[in-house]
Amino acid sequence: MKKKKFSLSDLMRSKITWAVIAELLILLVCFIIRPEFFSISYQPTTGMLYGSLIDILNRSAEITIIAMGMTLVIALGGTDLSVGALVAVSGAIALKFLRWDVSAYPTPGDYTIYPFVLVLLVPLAVCTLMGLFNGVMIANVGMQPIIATLILMVAGRGVAQILTNGKQFTTLYTPFRFIGQGSLFCLPMPIVISAIVVAAVALFTRKTAFGTMVESVGINPSASRLSGINAKAVILIVFALTGLLSGIAGLIYSSRIMSNDSNNAGLNYEMDAILAVVIGGTNMSGGKFSLAGTVIGSIIIRTIVTFVYYFGIVSEATMAFKALIIAVVIVLQSEPAREWFAKRAKNRQDRMSAAVKGDA
Amino acid sequence: MLKKQTMKKQSLLSKAANPKYIMVYATIGIFLIIYLFGAVAYGSKGFTTLRTFVNMFIDNAYYGISAVGMTMVLITGGIDLSVGAVASLTGMFIAYGNTVLGLHPLVCILAAMVVGVGLGLLMGATIHYLNVPPFITTLTGMFLARGVCSLISRESINISHPMMDALAQWKVYFMHLKDGEWVKIKPICFINFNLLLFLIMIVVGIVLLQKTRFGRNVYAIGGNEQSAKLMGLPVAKTKILVYGFNGFCSVLAGVAYALYVKSGWNLALQGGELEVITCAVIGGTLLTGGVGYMIGTLFGVLLKSIIPALITFNGNLLSWWGKIATGALLLLFICIQRIVVTYTGKRKAKK
Repeated sequence: MKKKKFSLSDLMRSKITWAVIAELLILLVCFIIRPEFFSISYQPTTGMLYGSLIDILNRSAEITIIAMGMTLVIALGGTDLSVGALVAVSGAIALKFLRWDVSAYPTPGDYTIYPFVLVLLVPLAVCTLMGLFNGVMIANVGMQPIIATLILMVAGRGVAQILTNGKQFTTLYTPFRFIGQGSLFCLPMPIVISAIVVAAVALFTRKTAFGTMVESVGINPSASRLSGINAKAVILIVFALTGLLSGIAGLIYSSRIMSNDSNNAGLNYEMDAILAVVIGGTNMSGGKFSLAGTVIGSIIIRTIVTFVYYFGIVSEATMAFKALIIAVVIVLQSEPAREWFAKRAKNRQDRMSAAVKGDA
Repeated sequence: MLKKQTMKKQSLLSKAANPKYIMVYATIGIFLIIYLFGAVAYGSKGFTTLRTFVNMFIDNAYYGISAVGMTMVLITGGIDLSVGAVASLTGMFIAYGNTVLGLHPLVCILAAMVVGVGLGLLMGATIHYLNVPPFITTLTGMFLARGVCSLISRESINISHPMMDALAQWKVYFMHLKDGEWVKIKPICFINFNLLLFLIMIVVGIVLLQKTRFGRNVYAIGGNEQSAKLMGLPVAKTKILVYGFNGFCSVLAGVAYALYVKSGWNLALQGGELEVITCAVIGGTLLTGGVGYMIGTLFGVLLKSIIPALITFNGNLLSWWGKIATGALLLLFICIQRIVVTYTGKRKAKK
């Protein structure tokens, strides 16, 4: 096999490059203003590492996990708007199984009414089924993904509220706390979980043919059907997987706050996840996808938020900063801009080679 | 049961009229069925009064105003997620400008108009010239507007200005002749400024879409942008103007909302964009573009507001059932759309 030659114009045309440059630039600004932004300290009492960088990774875990599924959904040419609502549903079910009927045990404590296995598995199963429902609507009924998932987005939070009777349950159950606030290998659990999820999805898509199938269905569904790919099954699997991942994110979220918050859990997660995917260089119209890019995209989003918190700017104003940076990344990534850069790089190369020839 | 009845209605009506209106008929039909159900179940509690009916309009007028612009954007095959944030920003402009800076509300509204329409035009240009998907572009617009809102103030600010108060309290009562004298009908029912604005915008939307060259271009772009370009239609201008018009509608919706709640809040109307899209979709607008009518959107708004009304009249249900019912309604509608599309497709193939 021929070894690929490193060339600057290829690098400039790659979408991930811009995402990485953007992230590095933001970090550079942080470093210039406050060098201690990069300090990481070890806390022996909790056995965990602390620091802004760790915090960025920790807090981006939910979006990273959801965005893994969203990458595949977008590679299929669709979008999933229901992920935020599924996060709320997952948390509501988990807390329902932890507390069940609050009248019997009115005070929150270190106990669970149902076995912990159910607390974990039932939310994940329900979220997977809801994802599957999205998939059936798209693959079998033939709806547009935006619309099909809009249904659960609207109805999902209602379901979450009705499951808990519109109440907010809290718990102090230690194993449940471990999911969002515990640590493994000195790292906060959410980072560990998101690393496992990223690895699993990467292996599943890149070490089997599944990733290629997703790309081919995203580029041309009928052509891939003719070449023997079961497009319906691919769509079903991808949406069910996204549901499952939203469920995992929901468990992490509710474990962080140790309660269910059907109004605010996962609010705007669908937007953040889609942005993470797009910043990472996956095209909204489907086709090739990049899981690494998505991870970087998710980290960029969280870096902006942490940056804003760290410098004491009003928390809701993060959105304006997010918008500005995303606008820059999107404009740089857009087709005309990339063509322009590629043309310039090529022109320079031509001129240089012409000059070299002229010398010889 | 519900679905069967509408299907029957559709097949009858489709013979009577052009099949392209089927979705609008379906919306009206389902609204009538739900209304009849409400009338039978809660008629004694006053569900059928004119007041209940007009209140359904008044409580959702701001969504309706925004839905006029949204319908147009959806017909071009685009989507605009920034409407809720722009409306909220308008409210913030009025509240902050008037209460804190002491400006006249009209100046604030004008400033909001410039910002809202400008943002719309900018987003339209980004979508067209840079080829960025509408979903992403307008999502960024939403973040920007919401963020600026929060930069202005995190607290809810009261609006109290003689002009705004007068506008909010302006009412035309429904009267009837009794013993040679005009008296207010009972229970009292009225048209307010928001409702009037909503109806005017619907009429403006109908005229723009059905009677102008601009409207024909909008449908042509939604049907097939490539063909529209080849036909020599001004695709770029039309697309950018549609987003600008939607920005204009969002600002008006923001004014209506500010009049409704008499305050500006940075998190007001969060998720409003999806409510507005839902109104348009259950009004028969296809998200793939090319199909949609303002009359459908009008009934879409009504249909969306009748569900909370029914839940209020029932009195025992949690208000969360409203969300689930709206989801179910969306599902029902999209299924009908699918059936209609495949049915007309088959009929065309037969011909």
